[in-house]
Amino acid sequence: MSKEATIWLAILAVGAINYVARLSFIALFARRDMPPLLDRALKHVPAAMLTAIVVPAVVFVGQGVLRLDPGNAKLIAAVAALAVAAWRQSTTLTIVVGMAVLWLAQYALR
Amino acid sequence: MRAHFSRPAFFEGVRDMTPVLIGIVPFGMVCGIAAISAGASPLAALAMSAIMFSGAAQIVASQLIAAGAPLMVIILSCVVVGLRFLVYSAAMAPYLRPLDHRWRNVLSFVLTDQAFAGTIQRFRESGDLRANASYFLGGGALLWVVWQVATLAGILVGQVIPAPWQLEFVVPLSFLAILTPLFRDRVTLLVVFTTAAAVIALDDMPMRLSLICAGLIGIASGVVADTMRGKHE
Repeated sequence: MSKEATIWLAILAVGAINYVARLSFIALFARRDMPPLLDRALKHVPAAMLTAIVVPAVVFVGQGVLRLDPGNAKLIAAVAALAVAAWRQSTTLTIVVGMAVLWLAQYALR
Repeated sequence: MRAHFSRPAFFEGVRDMTPVLIGIVPFGMVCGIAAISAGASPLAALAMSAIMFSGAAQIVASQLIAAGAPLMVIILSCVVVGLRFLVYSAAMAPYLRPLDHRWRNVLSFVLTDQAFAGTIQRFRESGDLRANASYFLGGGALLWVVWQVATLAGILVGQVIPAPWQLEFVVPLSFLAILTPLFRDRVTLLVVFTTAAAVIALDDMPMRLSLICAGLIGIASGVVADTMRGKHE
């Protein structure tokens, strides 16, 4: 399969499946309650999946080089952003402070 | 559909979602840049934003396409990342069920992390279904339109933004902002730490399968912790 075909099939399949997931309890099984075990498992999905996306983007520099020390500017920026997000529940402020600290830390560590 | 539309609430939704754009615009640009650098055509890159309409899925798909992963791995990874839409759908369902199917079909399409995080509070506090639905539509519509414009900007001008700016870092930052309020729950903290440890330990897995595996390990840890806590109570 050509790369372009793979991309288009992925777009259509993921788009359709995501839409079904969004519709699920709002429309498709609107008259049903969720099975208890599924309910308990799904409750943890946002925390787990968002963590699984965020953590590698912060702790790895380059190709799979783990950096959990203050020499990693992204780690410093993420800690600052975490503090801001815990203090004020504001996405805007979290992003602004996070990017500012990232640039400052990169400059300072150069 | 018109019977449930409230113009003032729609524009209130648009207005209240505006501050979120500071994260959405660079995030959308990053999605455009990522798709193009993975080898997608500009049209496909835009279709990703218009049809998938999920930054996390688009970033994951672009990384896997760039790595030459097979179609099934791309779809499976995006579906696992998109499982959280089931959670948002379930949380919204009690409020949206009384609406007719056209409203529910449209509102479901614009259900994203940001739309959910920004509106669920209002649904919990106010019983005015007509105003709430229009409010959600306003916020969701703004996010969709701006998402397309931002992606297009990323496709067009993304390549000239200097790499040292690390614009792509707005992606983890915007998710961090959604994630942090959840930390107050102890089981959720356990899920976060377990997933974090697993995703680091499993990083060597091919085709970013570490994402799915670490996510499932984290979810399982939460279910086990809930079960144990339930027995103590």
